[in-house]
Amino acid sequence: MEIILTIAVLLPLVAAFGMFAVPASRPQWIRGLAIGATGASLLLTLCVFSQFDRAHGGYQFVSAIRWIPQLGVALKLGVDGISMTLLLLAGLVAFAGTLVSHEIHHRQKEYYILFLALATGIMGTFAALDLFFFYFFYELAVIPMYLLIGIYGSLPAGKHGRTKEYATMKLTLYLTAGAVLALIGLLAMYFAAGRTFDLAAIHEHFRHNPLPAETQRWIFPLLLFGFGFLASLWPFHTWSPLGYAAAPTAASMMHAGVLKKLGAYGIIRIALPLLPEGAKAWAELLAVLAIMNILYAGLAALLQRDWKFVIGYSSVSHMGYVLLGIATLNVIGVSGAVLLMFAHGVMAALTFALIGWFYHQTHNRFVPELGGLIKQIPFIGVCMVMAAMASSGLPGFANFASELMVFIGAWQQGSTLFRVATICAVWGIVVTATYLLWAVRASFFGPLDAKWSALRDAVSFKHRLPFALLIAALLVVGFWPRLLSDVIRNSVATAVLHVQPDAADDAAARPAAPGHRASSPARAD
Amino acid sequence: MRLYVTQLESLLVILAIVTLLSAAFRPLRQGRGPGFVLAGLVGLMLVYSFALQPLDGTFFHGAYRFDPLALYLKRVFLLGTALVLVMSTEFARRLSGAVAEFYALILLSATGMLLVASVNDFILLFVSLELVTISFYVLTSYLRRQLASLEAGAKYLILGALSSGFTAYGIAWLFGATGTTNFDQMRAVLEAGGDAATAPLVLGMVLVLTGLGFKIASVPAQIWAPDVYQGAPTPVTAFLAVGSKAAGFALLLRVLLAGLLPVSAVWAPLVLVLAAATLLYGNLGALPQRNIKRLLGYSSIGHAGYMLMGIAAVNTLGAAAVMFYLAQYAFTTLCAFLAIIAVTNVTGTDDVAGFAGLHRRAPILAAALFIALLSLAGIPPLSGFFAKFFLFAAVIERAADNWHYYALAGVGAVAVVISLYFYLRVGQAIYLQEPATAEPIPVSPVARVSLYVCMIAIIGIGIFQAPLVGAALRAVSVFGLTD
Repeated sequence: MEIILTIAVLLPLVAAFGMFAVPASRPQWIRGLAIGATGASLLLTLCVFSQFDRAHGGYQFVSAIRWIPQLGVALKLGVDGISMTLLLLAGLVAFAGTLVSHEIHHRQKEYYILFLALATGIMGTFAALDLFFFYFFYELAVIPMYLLIGIYGSLPAGKHGRTKEYATMKLTLYLTAGAVLALIGLLAMYFAAGRTFDLAAIHEHFRHNPLPAETQRWIFPLLLFGFGFLASLWPFHTWSPLGYAAAPTAASMMHAGVLKKLGAYGIIRIALPLLPEGAKAWAELLAVLAIMNILYAGLAALLQRDWKFVIGYSSVSHMGYVLLGIATLNVIGVSGAVLLMFAHGVMAALTFALIGWFYHQTHNRFVPELGGLIKQIPFIGVCMVMAAMASSGLPGFANFASELMVFIGAWQQGSTLFRVATICAVWGIVVTATYLLWAVRASFFGPLDAKWSALRDAVSFKHRLPFALLIAALLVVGFWPRLLSDVIRNSVATAVLHVQPDAADDAAARPAAPGHRASSPARAD
Repeated sequence: MRLYVTQLESLLVILAIVTLLSAAFRPLRQGRGPGFVLAGLVGLMLVYSFALQPLDGTFFHGAYRFDPLALYLKRVFLLGTALVLVMSTEFARRLSGAVAEFYALILLSATGMLLVASVNDFILLFVSLELVTISFYVLTSYLRRQLASLEAGAKYLILGALSSGFTAYGIAWLFGATGTTNFDQMRAVLEAGGDAATAPLVLGMVLVLTGLGFKIASVPAQIWAPDVYQGAPTPVTAFLAVGSKAAGFALLLRVLLAGLLPVSAVWAPLVLVLAAATLLYGNLGALPQRNIKRLLGYSSIGHAGYMLMGIAAVNTLGAAAVMFYLAQYAFTTLCAFLAIIAVTNVTGTDDVAGFAGLHRRAPILAAALFIALLSLAGIPPLSGFFAKFFLFAAVIERAADNWHYYALAGVGAVAVVISLYFYLRVGQAIYLQEPATAEPIPVSPVARVSLYVCMIAIIGIGIFQAPLVGAALRAVSVFGLTD
């Protein structure tokens, strides 16, 4: 059974290598192979999820191959509730991203090779239980992204005066800087744990011989800021909106939807459980920075006129909720952060896919120059309204349940700082609603400009499928958050915070249940 | 027994003499055929070297070793020589005559490198080092009608002579301080004397470090590298980067980790500072470069800095990481230079701008150059990634009891980010820009095969690191370092 997970992770990479053999003159074969590989990978991930023991918080589907025995490196893959959720996200977005890439015709073969390599890099990072391979897959995702943006991207000239080459270089350098910073912290733990990269073994070692609190306090920021670069932690977020704006549709989807979550995942998977004392020491700073993420990026999004910049800043702002959830260091807050990663990942991918749909035809994504598009492309318009509603945290979408969990976690944390942070974060939702509703109204409603009268809507099944899949995921998790939140909570409790799952169960799921929505504090907006 | 341990060197010398003699009867004009034959023969020697077994003990009155480290390094040198010979045949038509002598000098220099791999005595160190260096004096100025090549030759000669002087003077001081030139005896004397580092010893050590620093292009003897890399014939540049640099590191490892290990507390901080300075100098200096050979010259300074990190760590991991780095660096650098020669043969310019849109004109060259540059930058799944990972691990291991090593790792991290920028700028020209002309660039079959070999090696080592890690760890076990 373990082999299913390994196949799901490595299948896109194998397909990428296989694609070298496909002649470039056969675009249908190339696309077919890419869709087949990501589709099969998604199905296998769903298969793993269906077999997943939901009551068990530890790692499942664990397989290990000795890789560099001299240094204690093994290719060890496995999932728990946290990585399972994010692996589902990665599989879903990779598949949807492949489906929406039908507009790529120029240098198509390289495009899919890079995209598939990117998919494996991301899925591998989520599934890796060995710090070496965690880092290996993490870095593996960087260069395909560089080329995807550099070759296939587009950045309309704006007052920022930047080119896509600038954007992709900035993104790559920021991510590498973060990665190398984190590497120093990872290696420090490798030696402290007696030379093993096996996450479970390190965990076990530290449980019996905890690192001195002093040491933890200074290793933790290496990991926090190292991974924080990727999670667009304020003030290291500036690569993010620019990079998304310049990226081609599917790359934006992968990056905003999934790749960015790797940063937060790294903090949850490695920094929190291995360095609990360090986490306590830095949690308050993280909460403050997270609030800066939410408010600063939210206000910046208000000022944007380019759809992709709006969503780019919006995603930075949403990562603030995720980071706030992490900073709470309690089960419900961290679980909420993980669920929000899923919800926001799907939502961001959906939004970028929708923008890609009309931008491909209009070559214009400046909100003030659009208008009335819903008359011409009703399906896309309706999807966009739903995405905006999801993003603003309306009940019925996955984002609502997860943001609520983050708020409850932050409030329960108890200290004044976190109470203030919670209030600020709730106000962040108002900001989100403001810019998204404005952007949707200005570009989809009102009079239709004649020059947009030739726009085509997504009518065929194959064009609607990616949008339908993403919306379905948002709605299913929105109406039934326990599908994911239960497994997440078990793993957060046992694998991250070392508390009894039952003790943490007190207020966890109940507020997120449908019946309690109307009276919940998040309705303050 | 003596013949057994020096058979590879002897074969190379015979090959060099035969090449010179054959030219006396029938001068080579282009020399493609003979060049490939020589490359093939050296390649066979490389294969044959895997049949040899390392031997314990020393030879030639304690001056020569045939231990696993020596054998490992000899293989790296043979590999580099074979690929440089392939490169030279591609380059031969740009040499104005005297092709056979060019090959012979490369073979002689390679002989010196193979000797360097086995050095266990300062006298042999000096002699074999001079064999390498003097061959390079001629090779760097081989394009004698080009001013840049002559300038490179003159710079290399003057600074090389100066550094030889430093080395010889330093050896004299070390001899004066310890009464021996043999590494084993020196180590015994120093161990017996406790770790009291006397002034003559330290002076000798600093002088030798400076002299060897010239070979590896590390601060403070790095100034020559960009000029010489730019001006020398491209195969010579590649050989400097791969062979000469590896020879310098082989000697540094032997001198510091065998002879002077008891006083590592004195030299380790010095090497640490030099490593940091070299890293910053090389990588920052590469930023504004427009000429690809000059850029690689600066980057080679940077790589010397990375490898010095491994020596500064003074542990098994560090030494093994340097060994790993050297082997993969040979493949990577030669891959880059092979592609560069094939491109510049057609475009006639070393400017990065000449590589614009290379993916349209020659996909194989574009892929090879891009992969090589990414490996130099340390991106997975390429060999350079693991090499850097290994070095960082070695440094962090020491950091637990000395925070200076965290600072060194931090400088290394900054250098990685900087280097990614200038390597990717070349990548940008290759893949993101459109070519001025779509005319395809021809690639000869042998060059194509060599490029494939290099690329497969870069990716193969990058994914399946264990065999080379094992070989590197076995090679450095001779030092008997505690971790």
